[in-house]
Amino acid sequence: MALLEGRKISKSFGGVQALSQVDFSVEAGTIVALIGPNGAGKTTLFNAVAGAFKPSSGQVVFDGRDITGLPANAVCRLGMARTFQVTRPFAAMTCLENIMVAAVNRYPQKPRSFIESFAREKLNRVGLADMEGFEARHLNVIQKKRLEMARALATDPKLLMLDEVLGGLNTQEIQQAVAFIRSLRDQLGLSVLWIEHVMGAVMQAAERVIVLDQGRVLMTGTPHEVVNDPRVIQAYLGD
Amino acid sequence: MAGKKQALLSALILAGMCVLPLGLGIYPQHVLIVSLFYVMMASSWNLLAGYTGQVSFGHAAMAGIGAYASGILTAKAGINPWIGIGIGTILAALVGLGLGALCLKMGGIYLSLTTLAFSQILHIIIVNEYDLTRGTMGLQVPALMAEYDKLSYYYIMLAAAVLILAILHRMIHSNLGLNFRAVQNDELAAKSVGVKVLYVRVLAFTVASAVAGFAGGLYGHYLLLITPEIPSLDLQFYVLAMTVIGGMGSFIGPIIGAFALNILAEKIRDYGEYHVLVFGLIALVVARFAPNGLLGLWKRFKPIKPIQGVKQKAVPSP
Repeated sequence: MALLEGRKISKSFGGVQALSQVDFSVEAGTIVALIGPNGAGKTTLFNAVAGAFKPSSGQVVFDGRDITGLPANAVCRLGMARTFQVTRPFAAMTCLENIMVAAVNRYPQKPRSFIESFAREKLNRVGLADMEGFEARHLNVIQKKRLEMARALATDPKLLMLDEVLGGLNTQEIQQAVAFIRSLRDQLGLSVLWIEHVMGAVMQAAERVIVLDQGRVLMTGTPHEVVNDPRVIQAYLGD
Repeated sequence: MAGKKQALLSALILAGMCVLPLGLGIYPQHVLIVSLFYVMMASSWNLLAGYTGQVSFGHAAMAGIGAYASGILTAKAGINPWIGIGIGTILAALVGLGLGALCLKMGGIYLSLTTLAFSQILHIIIVNEYDLTRGTMGLQVPALMAEYDKLSYYYIMLAAAVLILAILHRMIHSNLGLNFRAVQNDELAAKSVGVKVLYVRVLAFTVASAVAGFAGGLYGHYLLLITPEIPSLDLQFYVLAMTVIGGMGSFIGPIIGAFALNILAEKIRDYGEYHVLVFGLIALVVARFAPNGLLGLWKRFKPIKPIQGVKQKAVPSP
C-alpha cells in the first residue's frame, strides 16, 4: 500500500486553477521526484498535502489515514515533514534551538539532555555541527536549506518532503547532496517526495518521477521514461 | 552555561531586595512597591509580546479586571481580599483566554488594534458604571492586613513578584518556551514541525492575562483606591516602554526596565509638566542607540567569544 496517496486533488486560488484532479502516490521506502516547469503547481501540491492549506477538493491519504484538511502540525505528528522552497528558519533562534523545537514536539516527555543530543545528531548529519550556537539568520542560503532538512528530520518523519534543496549548489555539492538524500532512505528507511529542478540529480536518486504541468499530472514513470517522453520535453521547451 | 553563577547572583539580588527597604523612608518604599507591580506587568507582557509576538494593548485592561473584580467583591460583598485577588486572577485569565481566541487569526497590527479597542471599551465601562465602580472618583477598597504597613506590603509584593518571575522563568526555559519563540519567529514553519500554534498563542494570552490580573489585584489593595488609571492606555504604554527599553524578548530586560523607568519617573517628577518630555527624550535616545534595550546594550559591550568554524563543511557521504 502506498505511504502517501493523493486522489483527485484540486486547488484554485480565485479564478486560477493551480491544481486539477491530481492523482499520485508515494510507495514506502522510495524516493519520488516531483518535477515540472515553473508554475506547474509543485509547491501548491506540497502545501495541499502537508496541511498548509486545504485542497478545494480531493483526498489525501497518508499511512492509511485520511488527512485531508488536517492542520500542518497534526500532519507532522503523523510522520510527514517538509522543507520550504524559500527557507523559513526560526531566524532569531540558534541552529540548535531550531532543531530542538522539532524535537520537543516529537518527544515532549523526554528530558532536555536527550533533546539536545538528539538535535546535535541531526545538525551533525547535515554538516552544521559547528554552527549550533549561531542564530539561524546568520546562515547563508545553502546552510539554511540544510538547517531545514535537519529540522524536518528531527520530527522523526516517515516521509520527508523536500522543496528544491539543491538550488545554488555546484556539481560536486550536488553529488554530495544526492548521496545524502539516498542515505536518508538507505540508512533511516525514509520515503522522500522531492521537488527538484536539477535533472541530473533526479536521474541519479529517484525511483519514480511525477511530472506536473499546468496543475495536472502529465505523466508518471521512471526517470528514464520521463526524460525520453516527448510530452515532457514539449512541456519544458514548448512547441 | 553559567547556571550556578546565575542562581548565586539571583540569590544575592533577592537577599539585597529583602534588606533594601529597611533603611529607607516611606516614600522610597512606595516607589519600590510600585516598581515591583510593574516588574510583574512588564514581565508578563513580555511573555506575550516578546516571546510569542502578540503585541497586545489590553494588558493594563487585564490588571484593571483583576483590580476591579477584587475591589468590588471586597468593598461591596465583604469578601476576603486574598480570595478577591484569586477571583480577579481567574477572571482576567478567562477574559485573556477569550481575547486570545478572538485574536487567533490576527497578527501584527490587527491584533494590536483589537486589543486596543477591548482596552478602551473596558475603560469606558468602568468610568460609566458609577454605581459599581464609582467611576473616576475611584473605588475605596480594604487593605490586605488589619494594620496598614508599607514594609509588609513591600514583602508581599516582593514575594508575589518572585513567585511570578519563577513561574515565567520556568515556562520560558521549558519546551513551551521553545514553542513560544518558534511561533514568534515563523508560525508556518512552527506548524510544519508540529507546534500547536493556536494552543501556544492562546496559552500565552491566558497566562499573561492571569499574571496581570493578579498584579492588578494586589496593586489595588495596596493603593486602597482604585481608579480607571489602572486599566488605562497610559499604564499600558508605560509597561510597553519598560519592556522595550529594558529589552524585549529577554527574561531580565523587563525587570530592569520596570525598575529603571519607574524610579526615573519619580526622579524627574520635579520637572512638572516637562517630565513627560524628559521621558520621551530618554525613550528616543534608547531607541536610537540601544534598539535591543538596555540589556542589548550591555550584551553589545560584553566581550564576544571568537567566531569559530564558519567554514563550509561537506555533507557527510553515506
